[in-house]
Amino acid sequence: MSETPNMASLLRTVEKPGRYIGGEYHQIIKDKSAVRCRFAFCFPDTYEIGMSNLGVRILYDVLNREEDIWCERVYAPWQDMRERMAEYHVPLTALESGDPVQDFDLVAFSLQYELCYTTALQMIRLSNLPLWAKDRTEDCPIIIGGGPCVYNSEPIADFFDLINIGEGEEVLLEIARLYMQMKQEGRYTRREFLHEAARTVEGVYVPSFYDVTYNEDGTIRAYTPLYDDIPTKIRKRIVKDLDAVPFPEKPILPYIETVHDRITLEVYRGCIRGCRFCQAGMVYRPIREKSPDTLCKNAKCLYENTGYDEISLISLSISDYSRLPELVDRLLDWTNDAHVSLSLPSLRIDSFSEELMKKTSAVRTGGITFAPEAGTQRLRDVINKNVTEEDLMRSVGIAFRGGKSNVKLYFMDGLPTETDEDILGIAELAKRVVGVYFKLSKPERPHGVGVTVSVSCFVPKPFTPFQWEKQDSFAELERKQALLKTAMTDKHVRYTYHDAKVSAIEAVFARGDRRLAPALALLVEEGAMLEAWEEYFDYDRFMDAFRRTGVDPDFYTTRGFGTDEVLPWDMIDIGVSKAFLLRERKRAYEEVTTPSCAESCSGCGANRLGGNNRWCK
Amino acid sequence: MVQVNRQPASNQPINLRFRFQKLGRLMYISHLDLVRTFSKIVIRSGLPLWFTEGFNPKPKMVFSPPLSIGVESKTEFLDLRLTERVDPAVALAAMGRNVTDELAMLEAYYPTHKLSDIRYLSYDIRIHTTGASQALAEACESSLLADHVPYLKKGKKGAPDTTIDLRPGIAQLSVCYEDGDLHMTAMLDADPCSFLNPDRLITVLKQTQGILSDPDLTREHVRILRKQALLADRTVFR
Repeated sequence: MSETPNMASLLRTVEKPGRYIGGEYHQIIKDKSAVRCRFAFCFPDTYEIGMSNLGVRILYDVLNREEDIWCERVYAPWQDMRERMAEYHVPLTALESGDPVQDFDLVAFSLQYELCYTTALQMIRLSNLPLWAKDRTEDCPIIIGGGPCVYNSEPIADFFDLINIGEGEEVLLEIARLYMQMKQEGRYTRREFLHEAARTVEGVYVPSFYDVTYNEDGTIRAYTPLYDDIPTKIRKRIVKDLDAVPFPEKPILPYIETVHDRITLEVYRGCIRGCRFCQAGMVYRPIREKSPDTLCKNAKCLYENTGYDEISLISLSISDYSRLPELVDRLLDWTNDAHVSLSLPSLRIDSFSEELMKKTSAVRTGGITFAPEAGTQRLRDVINKNVTEEDLMRSVGIAFRGGKSNVKLYFMDGLPTETDEDILGIAELAKRVVGVYFKLSKPERPHGVGVTVSVSCFVPKPFTPFQWEKQDSFAELERKQALLKTAMTDKHVRYTYHDAKVSAIEAVFARGDRRLAPALALLVEEGAMLEAWEEYFDYDRFMDAFRRTGVDPDFYTTRGFGTDEVLPWDMIDIGVSKAFLLRERKRAYEEVTTPSCAESCSGCGANRLGGNNRWCK
Repeated sequence: MVQVNRQPASNQPINLRFRFQKLGRLMYISHLDLVRTFSKIVIRSGLPLWFTEGFNPKPKMVFSPPLSIGVESKTEFLDLRLTERVDPAVALAAMGRNVTDELAMLEAYYPTHKLSDIRYLSYDIRIHTTGASQALAEACESSLLADHVPYLKKGKKGAPDTTIDLRPGIAQLSVCYEDGDLHMTAMLDADPCSFLNPDRLITVLKQTQGILSDPDLTREHVRILRKQALLADRTVFR
């Protein structure tokens, strides 16, 4: 934001003013008059969260590599700043130039979780732009949505002009190029531009060009394109060769502490596992790895350009990287001498080794996290987690002997086919983990042990084998949470669980359709924002908005979707086929697991998208 | 993690001092964040850093007294420990390449005084307030140069509030009326035990003189700029 005395006066009265100042090292400043496309990249959460997002960092870099495009960052103001802005009629501005968002050409939002919807929409309002896409006039920027949430963008479809399905590196550039070209040729109108984008750029979904009709029972009858030259199914875009794609060599270095304040090295995209509840494991397919050569070059370059003393290897499941030992050894060649530590989040129980633990700082901080997800082998087979109790006991044994004294275990409750036995199995498993600790010899356990069991609620997500499943009712989720609480008798075990209310709201929007838009609009008009934050999440306000706009939330949550039903996200093609998801669903009910891509191909269909990897044929 | 001892046996570690500024937007960056920022800057500089011994080695950095949020400075100091002597001009350039203008590196040299020898800090304070006048300037000056300058200090964690006297911490002070603003210059105690934060002078003037009382935040503002560090004999510290 601009450094006028006025703004300075406002900043003095808010918490963490460093969120709003910009001016960081490696921030990109360009000459306004020399660029042809002003791009505002908005992240609907605070600066500290948004600055930690690797996707935004990559796209900021990709766009700013173009001489005629200037991409800037916009984050959501905290409540105190928002009040000040309202009081002094200061619109939402971009950090780099301090210019109002409404003056930009293209405004993109990265939508990472359903609870950020109100924040994204509130940011549109704070920019003094019409909330509904249909109300925007020729001089308004084009508002673009992207990120993992838009694989079902229907609940927010009426607020966005254009949705980018899939990875944005190429799509956003193509959109920006088309915009500049049409402006230059003098043939730009919003409608013409959106039409041409939908027609010519793969991975572009323009919601307003698809008409929805409903059956009498409330389910969807059909999606009908308004033009016959736009796709009936929008195919996800991916970057085919990750070694060839540009990577941000000079990430912006925040002054204030952010959530992930370290080097994040993206090792691969996609996942070879097929956990049946996991959306990321399906929508990011096919797997595409970076080579150790590229990663070593990236890491060294990032170290020299940032000065961070920690490198975090990022992926959905780092131990599935086919050349992990080679990569770690090559990084260790210089990181130890430079006092740089390696961290490997997302380690799987079945591949955790003593060697890996010793080489990295995965264990240095005193705690380690594993995710068995379910309490019994039966249920772990249902969800295709493909880990055994033996794997878990072996891993925690290694961790304890390596000096770890705190183990955190992630579980889910409300999973399909779950019984009380599965719930109580969580407590049993935790007890046995404690037992592993006390089986060690005295000198091997100097600290005393702490096991934290963290249980979240299952949310059925689009494009997973469980997309048709019903969510447990709110009352049932609470009953299960209480049941587990009574079973948690071991004093070394700490039990925490997610608010079932949050999961219920997430489920509404995860599988929602366009009929949720009026509820969102109402919430936003009444001031909702930052609902992903506990202090601003208000279940009753959501339920009230649903009631006032005629939405039955149960229709989206506790109702099982029919397999022959038209799903709100059926016009999107993520590569993985519906036939595969149905097959996987059947196997879940048969309690049969499916091998990972590394073992054998299960024919998910994502290979149709192409991409360089060693598994897909 | 296995640590490799990089410190050459023949060379004694040596402290190199940098003088830098912290201007503009950076006034909103806390001292803690500044330290974290510098821990990355010094690594990027490529200088031969001396790392602390132990489990979690870090570059050794010592800073001059912290600035409060909202205060700018033209004289901040960093003592950076190096494993060997480096040409200060080369070091200055190496650091300078890795900061933005608001955090510009101004000087580098091998120091003679310790940072703890800083006894006073001088400030230039511009107060843009409604009602600014020659008379108000004089009133502000005399209220801060009175025998006692009482200041209500909020008790921490339920402890009772106490009234302290700021006067002993004010070594020199003047307020004049200039270009429609009050312009204060002050030399304040910088000893860690009796450090006087210039913010407190503003608080006293708000209470006693009613300055900066406009509810519209955009009409009034204060700029506090740290200008110099001084030794006990009031000569310039460097």
